[in-house]
Amino acid sequence: MSHTLFHAALDASLLLCALGLLWRMSTWYRLRIGPDVQDVTLVHRLRALLRGLAAALFTRRAFHVGAALLLDVLLQRRLYRSDKSRWLTHLLIFVGFMGLLLMHALAAVVTLKLFTGYESTRNPYLFLRNLFGAMVVVGLAFFLFGLRHRRRHTRHAPARRPRDAAFVVLLGFVLATGFLLEADKIVSPQVFYRMAKEFNGSADPAELKPLRAFWASEFGVAFDDLTVPIAPDLLRQGRAMHEADCETCHAGAASAFVSYPVSRVLAPLARVLDAGQAPTWLLYLHVFACFIGLATLPFTRFYHAFAAPISLLVNGAGPGRALSSAGRAVRRALALDACVGCGICDAHCSVAPLARHLDNRYLLPSHKLIATGELTRGRLLPSGHPTDGARDAAWRAAEGAFGCTDCGRCTSVCPVGLDLDDLWQSGRADLARAGLTAPAQWVRARPALAWAELLQSDSWPRSFFDPDARDAPLSADRSSFSRCVQCQTCTNVCPVVAHSTDPGSGVDLTPQKVMNLLRLGLRDLAMGSSMVWSCATCYQCQEHCPQGIRVADIMLELRTLAVQRLGTVRSQKEFS
Amino acid sequence: MKYALFLGCKIPSRLPAYAASTRAVFQHLGVTLLDLDFNCCGYPARSVSRDGFVLAAARNLALAGQAGLNVLTPCACCFGTLRHAIALLDEDAALRARITQALAAEGLAWSGAIEVEHVLPVLARVIGVDALAAGVRAPRTGLRVAAQYGCHTLRPSNMARFDNPLAPTIFEDLISLTGATPIDWPRRLDCCGDPLHDANAPLSETMTRAKIADALASGAEVMCTACPHCHLRFDGVQSDTADASIRTLLYTQLLGLALGLPAKSLGL
Amino acid sequence: MSGAAATRYDVAVIGAGMAGMAAALFAAERGLSCVQVGSGGGILFASGLLDLLAVHPVAEHRLWQSPYDALATLAGEQPGHPLARVDPTSIRAAFQSFVAALTSAGLAYAPLGERNSNLLTSIGTVKTSFGVPMTMAAGVDALERRLPCLLVDFRGLREFSARQIAATLADDWPDLRHQRIDFPGFEAVPEVYAVHLARALETRATRERTIALIKPLLGDARVVGLPALLGLARSQEVHAAFEAGLGVPVFEIPTMPTSVSGLRLLGALESVVSSRGVRRRQLSSVRALTFEGDTALLQLDGAPGGERISARAVVLATGRFSGHGLTADRQSVRESILGLPVQQPGGRDAWHQDDFLDPAGHAINRAGLRTDEVWRPLDATGKPAWKSLFAIGSILADQDWMRAKCGSGLAIATAWAAIEQVAQPLRETQAP
Repeated sequence: MSHTLFHAALDASLLLCALGLLWRMSTWYRLRIGPDVQDVTLVHRLRALLRGLAAALFTRRAFHVGAALLLDVLLQRRLYRSDKSRWLTHLLIFVGFMGLLLMHALAAVVTLKLFTGYESTRNPYLFLRNLFGAMVVVGLAFFLFGLRHRRRHTRHAPARRPRDAAFVVLLGFVLATGFLLEADKIVSPQVFYRMAKEFNGSADPAELKPLRAFWASEFGVAFDDLTVPIAPDLLRQGRAMHEADCETCHAGAASAFVSYPVSRVLAPLARVLDAGQAPTWLLYLHVFACFIGLATLPFTRFYHAFAAPISLLVNGAGPGRALSSAGRAVRRALALDACVGCGICDAHCSVAPLARHLDNRYLLPSHKLIATGELTRGRLLPSGHPTDGARDAAWRAAEGAFGCTDCGRCTSVCPVGLDLDDLWQSGRADLARAGLTAPAQWVRARPALAWAELLQSDSWPRSFFDPDARDAPLSADRSSFSRCVQCQTCTNVCPVVAHSTDPGSGVDLTPQKVMNLLRLGLRDLAMGSSMVWSCATCYQCQEHCPQGIRVADIMLELRTLAVQRLGTVRSQKEFS
Repeated sequence: MKYALFLGCKIPSRLPAYAASTRAVFQHLGVTLLDLDFNCCGYPARSVSRDGFVLAAARNLALAGQAGLNVLTPCACCFGTLRHAIALLDEDAALRARITQALAAEGLAWSGAIEVEHVLPVLARVIGVDALAAGVRAPRTGLRVAAQYGCHTLRPSNMARFDNPLAPTIFEDLISLTGATPIDWPRRLDCCGDPLHDANAPLSETMTRAKIADALASGAEVMCTACPHCHLRFDGVQSDTADASIRTLLYTQLLGLALGLPAKSLGL
Repeated sequence: MSGAAATRYDVAVIGAGMAGMAAALFAAERGLSCVQVGSGGGILFASGLLDLLAVHPVAEHRLWQSPYDALATLAGEQPGHPLARVDPTSIRAAFQSFVAALTSAGLAYAPLGERNSNLLTSIGTVKTSFGVPMTMAAGVDALERRLPCLLVDFRGLREFSARQIAATLADDWPDLRHQRIDFPGFEAVPEVYAVHLARALETRATRERTIALIKPLLGDARVVGLPALLGLARSQEVHAAFEAGLGVPVFEIPTMPTSVSGLRLLGALESVVSSRGVRRRQLSSVRALTFEGDTALLQLDGAPGGERISARAVVLATGRFSGHGLTADRQSVRESILGLPVQQPGGRDAWHQDDFLDPAGHAINRAGLRTDEVWRPLDATGKPAWKSLFAIGSILADQDWMRAKCGSGLAIATAWAAIEQVAQPLRETQAP
């Protein structure tokens, strides 16, 4: 490959990569997640960055940063704690890839500087290159196998983008072309002749026959006219020539423990491959695949190799909450990039069973994270006239966000050490400000009468509001509340009514009035009542009711009815 | 004696001291507590989907069933919720069928044989007040303690079967055995206000403060809790004010101290 | 008296109204192991006043100031009336025991004498009753002597109007004044509820503010009347504070049911019953009751998997229609648990008089269970349904407790008598 082409392509890829990284990094300084950082400016963030860097390098923090570098970035301690098999997978790919990158791809600037005797065909480099490559291949295989295993056992796969798959394919391609290239070079007579011309001086097959014989026997080159076994005499001659011209740079081909077996498969095709200039175009494919990977790095999954270590180091430098608002702003935006979509958070999520049952993937952390990003970029709620789908997705995301129990498990198992707790809290605050609130808020945003009026439109049949015996058996069965004699005991023992001495307190109807509405068949008024959401579920009412009416249970049923029925109505009314 | 320890969503990350003190006390008493991969008890789902809530609860029970263990929980809310789910599964055959099917998809099954217990009745009745009293090494003499029962331990009483919901004595008995003095306070059976803190924060705070004021006015020095929600609530409100001077202590901490366990092991 | 699941209790009380609570109380007092099933919700409708007997004959609405004289007359004229079948000594002992138990739980009563007392109701009528809570006692004297009195009510408290009481009694009690105040802390809400106010008064600051609001309105009043909301479990303390703060006797007037005084009574009863070791099963009811030899088996519902309880004796205190002890359909009245024969008018046409307010009352109100001389309900053949099954309280036939103003008396007296029976075999088997 010509130097100019190579360097031009490399430079172009590096430039694209750098620009891409800058663009991606800019989000850490632009995105505002959470109401507490809305006033943070770019200047604030840059100042926070400089302060943070200074603290990280020149104070005691440096120790923590160093420890984080070693334990969390290089040894991936967090991942080890969360999932040992995935740690192994990642380690294989990580070490293999870094080995290939530093020792092989950057041989000219790294290996050669450290080890002057470097030749790609010498040991230990030949062996190591194959080892590193094999590690990546095995790691990728584990990864794919693990993915398939997880997909079969979970309903909602962790959030993934199409380009994640693209990256895996690209990496696989790079490795495949690399091994094929090496294998082809092993068997290729064309390459042999080229090398012989350079190091022996001759390109004449007859003259080189002993050497060729030796190379066919010991190094697996596939010459048409030479077949094994080779005559011992010829071999001895060939060995002498080899020792003179080749041995200094060539370790035994068997050291290439992956490429060599592959080359055995390619051997019968050696002539065809040579005729098609396979060594050349394999090289081009291999190198250009690498360049494509490099150029697109900021936009593929590989970007995590850049963002994740930064996130780990930032966390290593200090606890999350103690940061200034600028620091928090950067950290949250960084989290969106540093998430690798591994889904370990989803696997430990306390409400995963609910995500399955409600078929709402937004209850799961990896999806919540994506949604948080969408929301902050203004993409979750497109302006203008949103379609049904977009509006629905926005509300589903809100349901997911508000269904989180803040158990903190996702945060403690995240291999990249993201402060998910903080992200969820700020995400919820942002959702609420965008009008996407929890049911307790959006139901109470309208008075019960207003809901009742909304519900009295022609498009809703009365039966839509009938509670069905399946999810609201008490509300559906008159006998559960028909015995109510309005004695007001429930209201009298209700602590919420007792403490609602302020008219704006959100208690519009007392419990006994809600029961009365049910007796009167005014379900829609009952459903839209804010008392239903101010209920503390303390069960005093149910415990004291002289008629044994399950007042608190009915309140909770009215909630589920409101979420389902009023939620549908709300969606319809909002964008019409 | 062995139980599956159900910590719920609040304790591990928000109140690890409750897990620590529970483990320390039960280990001292020779009871084995095992950790299973439980999910949320289902309480928050009660406002969203009846089937969802029961499924979440039943899944936990199925996991305990797989391990052949009854469930022990230090959280009053989880206790009440799991028991409520059991009651619903018992009375609603159609629900039971749907949940059975949903669990089967994961290879799990709810047998109905698993019992859910809260830490307090197990201590008071299974291990026994007398046995505990005999183990007290460092009585908390003179300490005036207000018992915070919480709501879901007591009500609805047919599901909780914790004690007489209108006149319970179990928590005071447990406090007495540690040498401390349980005090009588008018609002002792009131809700702490925590369930409202998202929906109506000012009202929630009013309820909590009324309880704290009442406990203090009745001469309490310590508010003793049996639920992480109540505990975090009292702590949370107090941390904003300068004039609240009541300590909040988990019962497992109080008992642990009385049994002579090191304070560090109890998260203190 | 162990708590094990296989316990065979000495007595199972079905029902937690006045009669059921009294039975559980008396049983525990005598050292019987007792389990009590049912919600005490009915007691929420009580006023706290304990009627013994005030009206006889019901048709004439003749009021008696001496309940024991009334009982004697009743015994002569209606020997089948349940109250006539309990001897007065037992009735006195029963009431003393019941009231002592309540007093021990913080709900003190004025000393029980031989006479009834007259008190104001929340609508300005006069009620004649026997057992009067201490917090209401000053009202008896005030009414009797028509003392200069200030009645205070609270804005937004719908169930009580001092003005209405004063208006009703205006001619009869000219020195009866009324005033309305805002309850401290509840000024901004349109409606207030008595229990919330009662509990608020257990906080000293609120109490002092309320007293401070009333004091300037006293004028020449020598007694102050308030709706019954002076505290819930701490009514003694709150009442004493009001008397000390205002410097005059203070009396409570029971409010409409369900009332604070009813909730107080329930709380006190649950507290006593619980502290005496009675096993309570609120929010549960008896799905099935069967008898095998010497043992009664109760199958409960309301808790997962149900629950089985066995007992040596059963006391049926399930009440009438609102308590669901009796069920009426279009044809007849049934006893809900065992289907015991209910003494009742021949056909539905005969249940009621034409005049709804007929002073004699209605035949349906006198329907109920017949019992033998030891309080055992009879089966269809006229024999006791089971040797140790007893029936007490308002489920019994031949009484009209509402019109005779004898509800608590009926409950407490018959409970005492039945528990006497339950305790007998135990006494006999124990060494003297």
